[in-house]
Amino acid sequence: MSRIIDLTEHSGAYAARLLAETGHDVIRVEPPEGDPLRRLGPYLGGKPGLEKGSYHQFMNAGKRSLTLNLKSPACRKIFLDLVKSADAVIANLPLPVDEAVLLEARSNLVLIKIEDGEPELCAVARSGLLAITGHPRERPVLLGGHVVYAAIGLHVAVAAAVALYVLKQTGAGQVVSVAAQQCLQALAEQTMVAYTSTGKVTERRGYRGAITAVSGAFPCADGYWMVSVPHTPEGWGKFMDWVKDPVLMEDKALLDEAERNAKKDLILDRLEEWSKKFKKAEIVAEAQRRHIPASPVSTALDLAHDPQLIARGFLTEIDHPLFGKILFPVGAIASVLGRKLELAPRLGQHSAEILAELGYSAADHQALLKTMAM
Amino acid sequence: MKSALPLCKIRVLDFSHILAGPFCTRLLADFGADVVKVETRTRQDRMGAVKPGDRLKGRSDRPPAYLTTNRNKRSITINLKTDEGKNLALKLAATADVVVENFSAGVMDRLKLGYAHLKAVNPRIIYVAMSGYGHDGPRKDWTSMNMNLQAYTGLMMATGAEGDAPTAISNSWNDYIAGLHACFGILQAFSEREVTRVGVNLDLSQFECSVATFGALLLSSAVNGVPPPRLGSRSTHWAPQGVYRCAGKDDWCAISVQKSDEWRALVKAMGSPSWAAKTEYETLVGRLKQHDEIDAGIETWTGTLPAAEVERSLKAAGVPAERMRRIPEVLADKNGASVFRPLNDPRDQDRLVTELPFKFSRSPVAPLSPAPGLGEHTREVLRDWLGIDEKEIKRLEENGTLQ
Repeated sequence: MSRIIDLTEHSGAYAARLLAETGHDVIRVEPPEGDPLRRLGPYLGGKPGLEKGSYHQFMNAGKRSLTLNLKSPACRKIFLDLVKSADAVIANLPLPVDEAVLLEARSNLVLIKIEDGEPELCAVARSGLLAITGHPRERPVLLGGHVVYAAIGLHVAVAAAVALYVLKQTGAGQVVSVAAQQCLQALAEQTMVAYTSTGKVTERRGYRGAITAVSGAFPCADGYWMVSVPHTPEGWGKFMDWVKDPVLMEDKALLDEAERNAKKDLILDRLEEWSKKFKKAEIVAEAQRRHIPASPVSTALDLAHDPQLIARGFLTEIDHPLFGKILFPVGAIASVLGRKLELAPRLGQHSAEILAELGYSAADHQALLKTMAM
Repeated sequence: MKSALPLCKIRVLDFSHILAGPFCTRLLADFGADVVKVETRTRQDRMGAVKPGDRLKGRSDRPPAYLTTNRNKRSITINLKTDEGKNLALKLAATADVVVENFSAGVMDRLKLGYAHLKAVNPRIIYVAMSGYGHDGPRKDWTSMNMNLQAYTGLMMATGAEGDAPTAISNSWNDYIAGLHACFGILQAFSEREVTRVGVNLDLSQFECSVATFGALLLSSAVNGVPPPRLGSRSTHWAPQGVYRCAGKDDWCAISVQKSDEWRALVKAMGSPSWAAKTEYETLVGRLKQHDEIDAGIETWTGTLPAAEVERSLKAAGVPAERMRRIPEVLADKNGASVFRPLNDPRDQDRLVTELPFKFSRSPVAPLSPAPGLGEHTREVLRDWLGIDEKEIKRLEENGTLQ
């Protein structure tokens, strides 16, 4: 287990969360007014509050919180003591304390620096990812749920894990620079491959017929479901055995995928009408029973009670002091490792405990609180 | 002194195919692991299989996407349908640190190469499964494909504005997200193994990896009982933010105004139109409330100019803006530090591949080397990993084990 100091903002928070999932002592150092992640909605219970941000509650789970005003010399001293005791610092730029000072405090520190540069939407527009998100010819759109931050955070987590491994193996620390813009560009790799090998520019393909001729997200009674009918004649036959659409069954030419592509709009329009009668769960279950690749198109509310996530322990019931009994998303790594995560810390919840670990007395702590430095 | 590659002592036996698994093992190869891809002549990795009519330049023994995804790896062919083939795979696994596979649940068990089988011959094995939904639970046998996962993981309903149809990204987003999770899990397992002296069974689910990136939205839904609002490209924290239509065909510019002085600079850059003079717009609250109206106003300006010109004038004015770039423009962006680098392969045209998007001050990463031909390293790997001699290799070749 390593000690990791978490000075990340939105794009690095998931990296530190993953490190908490694998059992490291992750200490989130926050300014006395709390970090920006606490102010990112939606808020649990609806109203804003430093302990109620959903991103804070999810991303900071398993971490400890220490509040320090890094502008005050007394707090900087504590911070450097903490750095001395730590294996790694993960931070979005600019660093609150000079890099040289950090490396002087601990010469074999692993320092992960995240260079953000631009606002989320601008970075995505520049990376090539915006051009492939949305519906054909319509307004392109940002990937939702700030999933772009998580994607950057995943790269940060991988980089940090490599540097921590090297530290364990050789005793040597190092500085790692992660450029958010490059992480996003790397995820546009498939468009690069398509363009450099065939000259084709990938466009937004939307949700209708994007995979095979007869594929897409179709409306049903309580939302949408997604199906991909295989391109083979057998795939179509199997699908028609189920749908029994008189017009489509009549047209034997439709056994050919090329023909289905040519008549795509007609087919998809009829399927939309057909599937509207069914509920999402019911129609997907029937498709899967017939071995036709299908899934629900979930909202986050659907997923919050998803049977697969519950069965595998990804969602675990907890009793939250503020929100009562809820299903908590443990995480993709922690759930597989069977690890429990502490709830996200209240602002400064572990300040006293961490100060004591660093050898400060309760009186020191009280004195710092009086000067409003913590 | 030059340090060694971080994972130079690590052997990875890679049974994975398509993208999620191979992307994970490519990262391990970049960090210096010896990644051996197990393939079968009768059933090759179909990654990026070429469509009829696609004319390709350069190497044609593998599809272009394969060449990008599997660089820096070695390839061995084994016929896993034969007992001798299975045995050989088991022997390789016995000397490996990591086994990665992304088959459907149950496939490796049927091949007698599942975690239980490998653990018996190698208690230190780190076994990484990356199936669609995981090896247990009511969905374990569901067919998973990228688009189905984009739908089921919530990506399509988190993306887009209120009332929009499900909205997708035209790439294998989930494969990358799962690959990164798996790589992180493996790297962490190395440290864990130092302590416990035994390996670990990482039964990852591509579904869960992607859902985890929406963890906050699941939590807010669980507590609030309603799905989160669909924001389109807007922000809850600043305004205006959006993607605006410009004069060219399918030409767009992203603008993100985060501060009031940026708002004033935007107004000035637009030529101070009368619609923008409202006092309500001076405050963030006012701009958030009147977002629709403001967007319409901005588009009367952007609609008359090419996106490149909108971007140029806004950047000059200090307003965050980037035009929507398609891949040719991404590649041509001289100022954008590119992760796409040419790979030198005498058998191939100059091929771009993706470098790691981060830099280590001390640890080197593996130099770029071409993806292997099918079975190119079969003999070499059998010698390196198992010390099998030439006579035995000949026998295995002749009896079809190495097909």
